[in-house]
This record gives sequence, C-alpha cells and structure tokens, in this order.
Amino acid sequence: MHPSPLLGPIVALVAWSLVMMVWLYVARLPAMRRAGTDFAALRGTTSGDIARIVPPEVQWKTHNYMHLMEQPTIFYAIVTALILMGFDAAINVWLAWAYVGLRVAHSLVQATTNVVRLRFILFLLASLCLASLTIHAALYLLHHG
Amino acid sequence: MEIDPLIGPVVVLVAWTLVMMIWMAATRAPAMRDAGIDIRTRIGGRGQDLEGVVPASVQWKAHNYMHLTEQPTIFYAIVFALILMGASGFPASIYLAWGYTVLRIGHSLIQATTNIVRYRFSLFLLSSLCLLGLTAEALYFVIHSL
Repeated sequence: MHPSPLLGPIVALVAWSLVMMVWLYVARLPAMRRAGTDFAALRGTTSGDIARIVPPEVQWKTHNYMHLMEQPTIFYAIVTALILMGFDAAINVWLAWAYVGLRVAHSLVQATTNVVRLRFILFLLASLCLASLTIHAALYLLHHG
Repeated sequence: MEIDPLIGPVVVLVAWTLVMMIWMAATRAPAMRDAGIDIRTRIGGRGQDLEGVVPASVQWKAHNYMHLTEQPTIFYAIVFALILMGASGFPASIYLAWGYTVLRIGHSLIQATTNIVRYRFSLFLLSSLCLLGLTAEALYFVIHSL
C-alpha cells in the first residue's frame, strides 16, 4: 500500500514537538541548577513551580511545547480523517504542510524573541490552514458520505 | 471509496473546536483592550496570564477550548482505532461516537455561557460514558482478534 502524502506533515509535526521537548530540557535543566535546585530532593513539582525560579525566556520553550499539545491534536485528527476518507488531493497536502511550517515558525518565535504580534500572525495563519482542511473534510463528507 | 460512518463525529468535533477557538478570540480581543493590554508591543505572555485580568466569563471560553484539546484527543485515537479494526458495522459505535460529539458541544455551550458546574459535570460524565463504551468495544475487538 502506497502511504498517503498527508502522512508526511503528521510525522514532521510530531518530530518537531519532540525537538521542542529536547529544547525545553536543554534550557530548563541548567537554569534550575543555577537557581540552586536540589534535583535529588525534588518531589511532586510541576512546570508551574519551575516558572517561579527560572527566567521567563526559559519557560517560553515550555509554553510552546505545551501549545503543541493543544491545537495540533485536532490537526492530527482532521488530517487522519482526510486520509481515511481518501481525500488527499494536492490542496490538502499543501495546506497540511503549510500548517506544519507555520507551527515550526511559531515555535521559533515563541521560544526566542516571543514578540506576541509576530507569534499571533503565525498562529492565525496556521489556524486558517487548519480551518480550510476542516471545511474540506466537512464538505467532502456532505457530498460523498 | 465508501466513507466510514465513524468519520462524521470526528470532523464535527474538530470543526466545533475551531468554533470555540473563534468564540474565545472574539470575546478575548475586546476584553484585552479594556484591560489595557496592547498585543502589538507585548513580549512573552500567554492565555493563562489573562486569569484575573479579564472577566471570568471571557476566560470560560478559553477554558472550554483547552478542555477540547484534552479528553477529545483520546476520543479521536479510539475512533480511528475502531475504524481501522472495521468496527463501523456496529450501530453502537456510530451512536456512541455521535453521542460523544453532541454531548461535548452541549458541554461547551454551558461552560462558555452560564458555566453551572452541576450541568457541565452531568454532560461531561455522560460524554465520558460514551467514550468508555467506545473503548470497551475496541478492547472487545482487540481481544477477539488475538
């Protein structure tokens, strides 16, 4: 069976989420050590506790990683739905890749300069790609379901 | 290609999540303006920072949007698993999946408006029972295919 071209964007965004996870730890662990954290004595802490002791830019990586567990979950659902209904037309493949590209750029902004205006524009454009994919899926269901 | 009838509830719930996102943004933008927040000049910050800054009823839309990216993720996973196992022939799957989606929309409408926890909880419980039913069905299929 030939794999659907819509699988690429799913795999790429999952991989990117793992890159952000690595980035968050690479930033967080030294910052916690600098703040005098005794790792051996830690018990029952969450990222909210860490936010109080590390600089905000360290937490920005975490914010973005958590963000990638929010809206992208419905991206995976709608792209998988499109694959299962056999609607992997070129326009959907382009939109899915655009979503992934915009989310990667959104991550890079949030994790570095975190200029909200730029982050917001990238988020808005990504959301428009996702909305288009969802409308395509809904219309396809109405016509062929 | 015949489209699996279990795809419908997935597409509708994803579309509903985007509706909630738009509702959140539409109420949040004027509330942020009223609170004197200018996103054009802002560095850092995220939605959670608005707790206590904008009215609670504005944040309720955001709470629900976030909620829709929590439990529904396992709904999508189990429905796709059922589709891939060929469980769509069972009317129970279709009813439970639509039941989940419709109850979650009801849950959103309550949380975003009156936010009466008793009603919200009842709807959440009922939708969770639908999800439990779908999962039990999937487990049954897995065990019988061993």
